[in-house]
Formats: sequence, structure tokens, C-alpha cells
Amino acid sequence: MNNALSIENLSFTYQSWTEKQNEPLFSGLFLHIPTGSKTLLLAPFNKGKTTLAKIICGVCPKYFPGELQGAIQVYGKFLSDLDPWDLLPVCTYVSQNPQEQFVATSVEEEIAFPLESMGMDKKTMDDRIEEAIVAWGLQDLRTSSEQELSGGERKRVLLATMQAIDATFWLLDEAFDDLDQHWRDQLKHLIATKDKTVLVLASRYLGEFDDLFDQVLLLDEGVVASGEGSSLIPRFAHLCGDDLPSPLETDFVQPSQTRVLSCQSLQAERRRVSTAESEHFTLEVPHFQLQSGELVTLVGPNGSGKSSFSRLLCGLDVPLSGQITVDENSYSGKQLSKRVGYLFQSPDLQIFLPTVAEELSWSLKRRSDLSRAEIDKRVIACAELFSLDLEDTPTTMSYPLRKALQAAVYYLLDRPFYILDELDSALTYQSALSIIAHLRRNGAGILLITHDRQFADKVAQRSYTIKEGRLIAV
Amino acid sequence: MTTNTYIAGKGWLYRFDPRAKLLLMILMCIWFFLPVSLLHLGIVVTLVVLVGSSNTGWHHAWRTFCSISPMLLFMVLFMPFNVREGVPLITIGRFILITNEGLEQALRLMSRFIGITYVCTLLFATTVMHEVMLALRWYHLPYKASLVVTLAFTYIPFIADSFSQITESHRLREAEDEQKKKVGHRLKDLVPTLTSALVVALRSIPNLAMSLEMRGFGREEKRTSFHRLDAYHHVFIHFVLSCIIPIVFWLVSMLF
Repeated sequence: MNNALSIENLSFTYQSWTEKQNEPLFSGLFLHIPTGSKTLLLAPFNKGKTTLAKIICGVCPKYFPGELQGAIQVYGKFLSDLDPWDLLPVCTYVSQNPQEQFVATSVEEEIAFPLESMGMDKKTMDDRIEEAIVAWGLQDLRTSSEQELSGGERKRVLLATMQAIDATFWLLDEAFDDLDQHWRDQLKHLIATKDKTVLVLASRYLGEFDDLFDQVLLLDEGVVASGEGSSLIPRFAHLCGDDLPSPLETDFVQPSQTRVLSCQSLQAERRRVSTAESEHFTLEVPHFQLQSGELVTLVGPNGSGKSSFSRLLCGLDVPLSGQITVDENSYSGKQLSKRVGYLFQSPDLQIFLPTVAEELSWSLKRRSDLSRAEIDKRVIACAELFSLDLEDTPTTMSYPLRKALQAAVYYLLDRPFYILDELDSALTYQSALSIIAHLRRNGAGILLITHDRQFADKVAQRSYTIKEGRLIAV
Repeated sequence: MTTNTYIAGKGWLYRFDPRAKLLLMILMCIWFFLPVSLLHLGIVVTLVVLVGSSNTGWHHAWRTFCSISPMLLFMVLFMPFNVREGVPLITIGRFILITNEGLEQALRLMSRFIGITYVCTLLFATTVMHEVMLALRWYHLPYKASLVVTLAFTYIPFIADSFSQITESHRLREAEDEQKKKVGHRLKDLVPTLTSALVVALRSIPNLAMSLEMRGFGREEKRTSFHRLDAYHHVFIHFVLSCIIPIVFWLVSMLF
């Protein structure tokens, strides 16, 4: 059988920006993807999944410097003889982080851009764009800009673009993340029914994957292991620490005082400024309550308003009506921000200093009641708890470590309530659970936003959902 | 790195042909440097701001003003000291603080700055970016150059967007007993925020380059265009208006 992708003896090491040399990410890696096959490549986080995808697309080491060795062929052509744009009709890559792939300022334009590059005629473009927009439910978002979309909507735009390009080889990096159940099913259906070569890179084995793939591989220690799914999946689960006891079962400290965060008759509205036609997004919260020590999940479709609700709860946005109370005292704005910690989905917008030590001590230094020695003591203890190196530079740390640093910063703030926005996205269950366990140590109440029902079922004591713009208890 | 500057609306500027609008923008920018009186300059700037507000809303006009206010503040503070000629208006002992000439030049510079900012902002707030690009290509600017121009105009709001998100993040990290900060502290806090926004902006560059190439930027075949400018009617009239408006402003300033 012909191979759509053939990788022989691949080695790759990222360029080091310090005196310390980086360890090779891949060493003697072989990978063969037969034409027309559906392959799932499992890899624990931070083991080079995204780098491998970028190497296959010809943009690494071009834009992400490093030393690359080995031979890569895409449909029999050596990658070294091709430029990234030559692969456009052949291979489409959907990134784990949708934001990094947007090139245009509206949804319609984003889908049209690669078709224009291929010199496609207007009629074909019209048909393909319309079909993709309808398939991914983007009719009301045609003229919306990227920054007005939710994480799931962004992912749908990339998948619509992939569908419109109609390349023969689809390379999907954590494509199921950010999508709600409806769109996960849609993606599954597309993979199963389209006559394409599909390579899905994933860091978690989701229930959705059952029977979807005809080949399961495991990326570990820089090489690809093949075998029966029944033997690889337990090995993968072990690598991710899924067989360890849940950190939530230990370390929980009963709060000395029960505090209550609640909302009554809350109403909010958000307008997409770049879209005149679409209706304003509205959110109604008749009643919401979170107590100290509770772990509550919020599950809802893409774009339903989960992040908007979080912004209201932590005082970043102002509701149209209704009130938010902590222990029956009504708060808003900064007063609320000082009581409800909100961990954004992306840690990069919440860490900004040159070293981990400075990052952790930033908020403590602003407190009038702490001595220098006490600050240092807390910072060292916190770094130890979250397995962080105080001298590390946050911008060069791996994603899971950046996420841990983001959580450590909030741990030191010791807020009575925390909102964790898609914490499990791009983390193993074990890493996500240990972050939750640390934050709950002092008895904080936690609202966890997630699309992963498996994860939600695993941790939730209670659950809320948003249906047709209304937040309801499940 | 694709922050949109377009604000959906139905005002007359939205129906104005982008090619003519681009011409009007350039002519108006030139007009602000013509030798006209300060009064006329002020009137035209006020008109531009009013037209902008009626098309994109007062909120947007106010936000635009806020975004340039630090620059305006610098002009007010330093420009009068630079110009020593003219009748002294404020003196401390023998030291002349401000002269009428210095004040006039400061006001003129501020008016030009406000005028040019609003004219450019209006183009990008009332025209979707792909139409700006089509308009540039209509003027025979090569595709790559048009793309660079439009990317430059999305990069600045992208940095501003990152800055506001990082500011929000700072706010969420304030200590519980933290009191309102003094100006010095607030300025000191700006340093990590600005650094962080720049780091985010710089890190986005290889990602954008990567994505553009993966979307076919650089291919040899001729690019086609999904969008057209056919929907605009009375293009000739729009071009005539684009030429007439600055001429009328100039004639009025000469006659009165």
C-alpha cells in the first residue's frame, strides 16, 4: 500500500537559547501512514506532538529553529524539496491552538483565503465556502472577527476551512478539544465518512475514539510504538498517570468557615461589533450558588456564554441587572476580582514576568502584612508544591508547566473561590486534578468549565449547564 | 494577530466605495497640512469627528480619543516650551513659560493629529479589511504589499487587545487588602504589562508567517478573489465627492 506520509529515522532538537543544550525531542523516529488510513497517534503532553505536526507541514524548523535530521515523504515527495505552500492542496493541519492559525479578519475570509491561494474559480469557492459554513454552523458568524469567537467557534472555523480546502490528508492536533459534544460527533462523522487519510494527534484517550481509527500509535521517548490498541492504551494511560489515585481523594482540608458565592436574576448581554445582522448574545442566570469546598462544573455548548458568565462572576464585566453576592454581601468590579480568582484558558495572558520567582512573589509583595522573609518562605513552598523551578523563565517553559505556574500564582492569592476555564484542555487528567487539589487545599469553592463530560463526571459534585442563553442546574 | 477594526453599521460612510474612501482619506490627510487658519482646521477636525461619531457611534469615537490621549497630553505639555517666539502669555519672573506662537503651534499639531487619526480610523472602522485590500489592489499595489499594509493595520489593535487582556489579568491578581495605588506605582506596574504585551505580539509573528504559508501564501499561480467590489454603486460620484470635499474645505478656508 502507498504511504501518504513516510518518516524515516527522524531526529529533532530545539535550538537552545541558553548555555544548556536541549534534549532531543525525537531520536530515530519512524512513522508510516498508509493512504486512506485513519490513524490515532497518542502522546502524553509535552512529548512533541505539535512539533511533529509542524515538521510534517514544513514549518518547523523554518519558523521554530532546531536541528532536524531524517527523511520525510508526503505522497512520495521529499519534504525537503517542497515549501509549506506546496502542501496546501495535499495536507491540511488543524492546530491545537486555533488562535495561532487565523490569518484573516473574518470567518468567511478565513475560509476563502486558502481557496484564493489555490486560484480557485468564484463559483467553486462560493459552493465550498457555503457548504463548509453550513456544515459547521457558522451562518451567523460569517463576518465575525476571530477575537469575537469563543474557543470552540474558532476550532469550528478551522475545521470548516479544512473541509473547504478538501485536501487528501488531514492532520488534526487535539481537534476534539474545545468542541462540545454535538461538534465532536460531527467531526467523528466527517473522519469516518470522508475518503481521506487522517492522522489525529491526541493527549487523552477520549470515549469518542472507540472504533473510529484503524491504527493506534503511541509516541513515547522520542519514538513511535505500534501495536494493538488494547495494549497501547493502558500503556498510554500509565504514561499520563491515569492509573494513579486521584489527587482529589487526598489533601482536602475542610474549610473553617463556609463562604457562599451566589447570583440572583443576573442578566448580561454581549454584542459582536463586526456583525450587524447577528442578534446580541444574551445570558440569563436565575440562580447560581457555589460554596466553600465545593467542586461544581459548568458544561455547555460552544459559544453558549460560559466564559461570559465567568467574567461576570469575577467582576471583569458588569451585568445588565441582578447581583452577585459573597456571604450575602453584594459586590462588583474590583471587590469581586479580589474574591473570585479566574484562571483564563490560556495561561500566557496571566504570566508576564521574567522568572518564576518574580511571578509568584508579584502579588505577595503588594500586601502590607507580609515581611520579605515570609514572602520568600511562601514562594519557595508554593514552587515546591507545584514542582516549579524558581529560576525558570515562564515564556520558555512547557505548556503544562505554564499552566501549573498560572495556578500557583492563584494558589498564593488564596481566593475563597476559583473559576477554572477549560483547565483540562491540553493537560492530562492527573495534572488537571492535582491543580484542582492544590487550589482546594484551603477549602476554596471551585467552578470548573469543561467540554469533557468524562472529566466532568469524574470530578463534579454538582453541575450547571447553559441552554438557550439560560444557566440552569443539572 | 488578526484583530479586526471593523464596526458594523449602516451609515452613509458604509455605502461609500472603498476605493473612493481611500482617496478621500489620503486627500484629507494632505489637507490637514495645508496653510489654513487654526479656526478652519478646528472646524474641519470637529466635522470629521462628528461624521465619524454619527457613523460608528459615540462610543467608538470616544475610545479613539482615549487611545490617542497620552500623545495629546505630551503635545500639550512639551510643545509650548519648544517654541520661544511670539508674545509671552505666561511668565515666571523673567522666564517665559508659554508664548501665543507656542500655544498656536501646539493646538495646530494636536488638531492635525486628531484629524489624521480619525480619518484613518474611519476608513478601517467602516470598511471590512478585505475590501481595503481590494481597493489597494485596484490602485495596482501588488498583492504582497496590500497584505502587508492590511496586516500592519491589524497588528496595532492586536497589541492593544493583548494589553487590555493582560491589564485584566493584573487586576485579578491584586492582593485583597490592596489600596488605590499612587501614580508612581501605577506607572511602575505599566512596565511588565507593556513588556508582556510586546512578548505576546512578538511571539505571534512566526505563527502568522507559518499560517500564511500553510494557507498558500507564496504559491506561484495567480490568486483569485472571493470578494468583489461590485456591490458598490455610483462609484464615479463617490470619486467626485472624494475630490470635491477637500477642495470645498480649502476654498472655504481661503474665502472666509
